[in-house]
Amino acid sequence: MAYINQEKYYTNDNINPTNENWGSYQYVSLADIVTNFLLMYNGNHSLINNEERYKILFHAKRGVQELNYDAFKEIKSLQLTVYSDLRFVLPSDFVNWVRVSLFKDNTIFPLVENIQVQSALSYVQSATATFTYDGSGNVNTKTSSLDTARQDGALNSIYLNQARMEGVDMPPFNEDYYDTYIGARYGLNTETANMNPTFTIDKKAGVINFDSTMANQECILEYISDGMENGDDSKISVNKLFEDYIYAYIKYALLNNKFGVQEYIINRARKDKSALLRNAKIRLSDIHPGRLLMNLRGENKWIK
Amino acid sequence: MINSVRNTVLAIINKNNYGYLSPNDFNLFAKQAQLDLFDEYFFQYNQQINEENARLSGTGYADIKKGYEEVIDFFSETATLAQTYTTSTAVSPSGLANVYTMPTKATTGTDYYLINKVLIYNTLTASGINTGTAAASAGNQLIDATATFTASMVGGVVSIVLNNNVVTTALITGFVDANTLNVNTTAITSTGKNYSIYLKSNLTAEAELVNNSKITLLNNSMLTQPNITYPAYTQEGNSITLSPSLVSNMGQVVAQYIRYPKDPKWTFTTISNGDPVFDQSQPDYQDFELPLDDGNDLVSKILQYAGISIREGDVFKFGQVEEQTQNQEQ
Repeated sequence: MAYINQEKYYTNDNINPTNENWGSYQYVSLADIVTNFLLMYNGNHSLINNEERYKILFHAKRGVQELNYDAFKEIKSLQLTVYSDLRFVLPSDFVNWVRVSLFKDNTIFPLVENIQVQSALSYVQSATATFTYDGSGNVNTKTSSLDTARQDGALNSIYLNQARMEGVDMPPFNEDYYDTYIGARYGLNTETANMNPTFTIDKKAGVINFDSTMANQECILEYISDGMENGDDSKISVNKLFEDYIYAYIKYALLNNKFGVQEYIINRARKDKSALLRNAKIRLSDIHPGRLLMNLRGENKWIK
Repeated sequence: MINSVRNTVLAIINKNNYGYLSPNDFNLFAKQAQLDLFDEYFFQYNQQINEENARLSGTGYADIKKGYEEVIDFFSETATLAQTYTTSTAVSPSGLANVYTMPTKATTGTDYYLINKVLIYNTLTASGINTGTAAASAGNQLIDATATFTASMVGGVVSIVLNNNVVTTALITGFVDANTLNVNTTAITSTGKNYSIYLKSNLTAEAELVNNSKITLLNNSMLTQPNITYPAYTQEGNSITLSPSLVSNMGQVVAQYIRYPKDPKWTFTTISNGDPVFDQSQPDYQDFELPLDDGNDLVSKILQYAGISIREGDVFKFGQVEEQTQNQEQ
């Protein structure tokens, strides 16, 4: 891609979105990566030769995905209202979560993940414990009582010591029963104590389930994606600090999977890739003197 | 070059009145010899690359590969591919619009020896059907009363189907108004023809040739599925099928290919003392297209064919030995 002038950078020539190019100079596009790789690392006199472009494209994208999972630290955020179904549907490009927060009274409250199950599937059962089936032979399902209790606000939470012992005729020993009462006898369990809503991520179902106190509240999900931009190849990009790493990654991936390549060549490519990743991570770690200074200032605060 | 080659051939085979080669036979043998040498260029080019990799070749005047590239590039052509099922007045039916015809004499003017690359315009700037033709005083124009042409189209390319399945491309040289563009072709002489307009800056995507056993897998892979940034094509018969299928506009696919050399033709008009006299002003005259230094090789090759033709073993052997000697020198 060609360099753009400053007018194009700031205004995108008044074509919407006009902020399209802001910050774009930090990144190198997938198209540039593939083109540069084909030009510079692939050819009659190079280690890589006679490889199909789709293989190079595949490895380039895989490299971008791997970088997005940890090294990039490019966290996306999405704010949605949680309604009475107490669900937050995961974004279309969700890969893993970083933090879930409640936004209330102009304050962000980070939420705690509930380690207990919050939602379950339930089958329709007869009095004799048999299941019923639909015309296709699939078992009939219903909303579980766990879900109903959670949505109704009736579900007790270990996070508020709601499961109390008063009036409970406790059996001699029952493991599940015992777990429910952890902390109740000995005061607040600080490990789990939290008055904010709690959540559980059901990855397979693609939703975050909240307890009933989250109803009609604003939720902010911070998450990471894989950088594939919903399949739009023209939008995929990599921070320039990782540009050399991506080339090294593609080279290594191709050589490593090619028959007859000497082991020392593969090892060289592997070491090259690893070293470049380390370098790029250090560069991207953003250890600025200004940030350190802010932390050091905290040392001078008197605790009264 | 063709006359000197013919004279040399005749001088050799006719020395002791062994035989005579008619112009018609000579043209046949010349064509065959040129094709042989043309074909060899690609193998020699590959051999030269291997020698470079083994550090057996140099740079500057020792760069033999460069010479081969120059010869091969002489036969390079770039042409817009025609849609297989589109005519000047009817577009391809859905599902077949992404099928394009490989270069042929009928569609692009020349047959292809190999397709080097297939390029795709990633954006169709405008399309329509022309509604008028230019007045004689106005020059060459594309006129469409329903169009909204803009000045930014100047310098772009207009593709228009004038005859069935044949795409004519022309450069847009000027903007007259929203309905009229100046073009550099005289071929638009009738109305009701489909046209498409593309900007040269949008000719950026190169389609990759994928064999038929891989294309299904490629389409099913999330990461490698062909798209407008990275399109792909498969070949079947004399047609190529583009993926993604939205590459389906007339004039959207451009191929750069190596054509076959034109058939050489030694032409004559008058007969003098029983011999035809060379006349290169004839409309069907065609010289060899290979470089001058291939003259000796052409003579050797033609001698071999002529030797077989006149059943003269010495001529055949002479041609063979000459060719081997030249190959060894190379």
